[in-house]
Amino acid sequence: MLEVRDLSSRAGSFVLSNVSLSVHPSSCHVILGPTGSGKTLLLESVIGLRKPDRGKVFVNGDEITLLPMEKRRLSYVPQDLALFPHMTVRENILYARRIKGMRLTTENGVAKELIGSLGIEHLLDRRIRNLSGGERQRTALARAIVSGCKYLVLDEPLSALHESLKRELWYLMKDLQGRYELAILMVTHDLEEAFFLGDAISIIISGRVHQQGTKREIYGCPQSLEVAKFLGVGNLFRSRVTQTSGGALSVRCEDLGVSLNVSADRMKSQITHDNECIVGIRSEDIDILPPAELPPDGTNTVAGAVRSIVETGASFTIIATVGAGSKTVEITVGRAITNRLNLAIGQPILINLPAEHLFLIDPNSRDTLS
Amino acid sequence: MILFKKISIISCFLIFFLYGGLIASLFYFFQWDPLATTLTSQRTIFSIRLSLIAATVSTVLSVLVALPSAFALSRYDFPGKRAVDTILELPMIVSPAALGAMLLIFFNNPLGLWIQDHGAQFVFTFYGIVLAQFVTVCGVSTRLIKAAMDEIPVRYEAVARTLGASPAKAFFTITLPLSRRGIYAACILSWAKALGEFGATITIAGSMSMKTETLPIAIFMRLASAEIEGTVVLILILVSIGLSILYVVRLLSRRDSYA
Repeated sequence: MLEVRDLSSRAGSFVLSNVSLSVHPSSCHVILGPTGSGKTLLLESVIGLRKPDRGKVFVNGDEITLLPMEKRRLSYVPQDLALFPHMTVRENILYARRIKGMRLTTENGVAKELIGSLGIEHLLDRRIRNLSGGERQRTALARAIVSGCKYLVLDEPLSALHESLKRELWYLMKDLQGRYELAILMVTHDLEEAFFLGDAISIIISGRVHQQGTKREIYGCPQSLEVAKFLGVGNLFRSRVTQTSGGALSVRCEDLGVSLNVSADRMKSQITHDNECIVGIRSEDIDILPPAELPPDGTNTVAGAVRSIVETGASFTIIATVGAGSKTVEITVGRAITNRLNLAIGQPILINLPAEHLFLIDPNSRDTLS
Repeated sequence: MILFKKISIISCFLIFFLYGGLIASLFYFFQWDPLATTLTSQRTIFSIRLSLIAATVSTVLSVLVALPSAFALSRYDFPGKRAVDTILELPMIVSPAALGAMLLIFFNNPLGLWIQDHGAQFVFTFYGIVLAQFVTVCGVSTRLIKAAMDEIPVRYEAVARTLGASPAKAFFTITLPLSRRGIYAACILSWAKALGEFGATITIAGSMSMKTETLPIAIFMRLASAEIEGTVVLILILVSIGLSILYVVRLLSRRDSYA
């Protein structure tokens, strides 16, 4: 297991504070965060390119914080891949073996198997400058794995690739991770990539880990306003807690002019009556109902009108105005629903905010209340 | 855009005609008879051989010192780094004659005298020529090699080291081959500068015929004795040797590109 404990590091005036995380064998831990949040600084401190100010790094229980890079057993793939331009693909892949004085061959063993899996047999004698982006990526992965390290440290290795190639490599990385029992610590700012590849995710913003957990925990329950915004939660509304008794939790949402029930199993002890809060919900968790389908009690439902419809590939993003039209709600719906409701600009709709998908954030501490 | 392109190309040719014009003007005093006598004279042959050997030895020595120094300046932070980096320009800000005078003064200090007594004699010897050229070009080669190494992203070495390479192995297998073109350029410029070095050499090694008379010193001596035709021949020899070797080295190093 790769373990980082309370690691702090600095680059100029930027400070990375108290990062702790662990990467279990055969799993992928993704560091997710916006550009300039300290992700690369963290990786550089882990591989030994930078000396951390504080904290420790362990591999299989052995402390490696002060070990030289070549003794850490961590294979690093930087954002630009750093394939050695004066070598062929074969020489790059076998570099780790060459410097250990081993026989240089791609004819058998892990190297042969890996080269076959990655589909780069025909590239072995090519120079790096003659490779495409995807071919470079595969070569960099092969080089890292052939070295025999079970821990890969990847710094946004797919960021320069186009969407379809990126997806192809996601599947390939998953396959390699399982087959070679790799533990991967990876950095990305791409949410989809993080949720596809990550078994565990750490959200890092401004040099601080804001949330850590499984995909489900991160996706379903952002723990702070910053995390919610970074994860693309566009629906965040000012509210006030109106009921906390009897296992029920209700808020009055001033922005939308509606009372909302929040799932009681999300209630935290610090929520008290009359608490100010921000209520949030993901656009894809909101339902659109035709006006005739208003629930009998009208719970968690607000009337609105379609302001704009944006087709985003497989789905549609609907921006609906509510109340006097000063506030908007962002809703993501599939093509089938859009067609069934025959949505058009200006059309009145009912917006349903299911209780089980609502979460509350304290506007002062900016931490989640639910 | 086109105007800018024209201006930049014209300025290239201005430089070419400036130096080309100077070389061409030599032919005003050129005569065939002094060419044959000068080329076959023992003194000229000695000067050519001395210049080539001294320039090559001083270049090799300076590159050997410059390589690790340039790597340290490019890759590491250490106390005094800024002072070292600044002093590299000393040969450029101090005139060659002053540099030679500094060497001469040093060898008249107790330490310098001790070195002369117990080691090699530098004043008025071949070693003095090599030392004068070495002192003149060492800073330049370090600066040029450092610039070449600065261009190589440190990530290449980081990746090599995570793949198991020691710092020395990463240097020899990654940094050195990748900065090879820059090192070639440093060697070429250092050698050219050493070949044409005059001020420091004459100050410490003197101008003894058949002993410390390099080609630039021979040119000076001929000019001082108003032998214009002989001076022209020696200048043409120096220019021909220098330019043709530089041209051949450039042709060879062009084949070695990773870009």
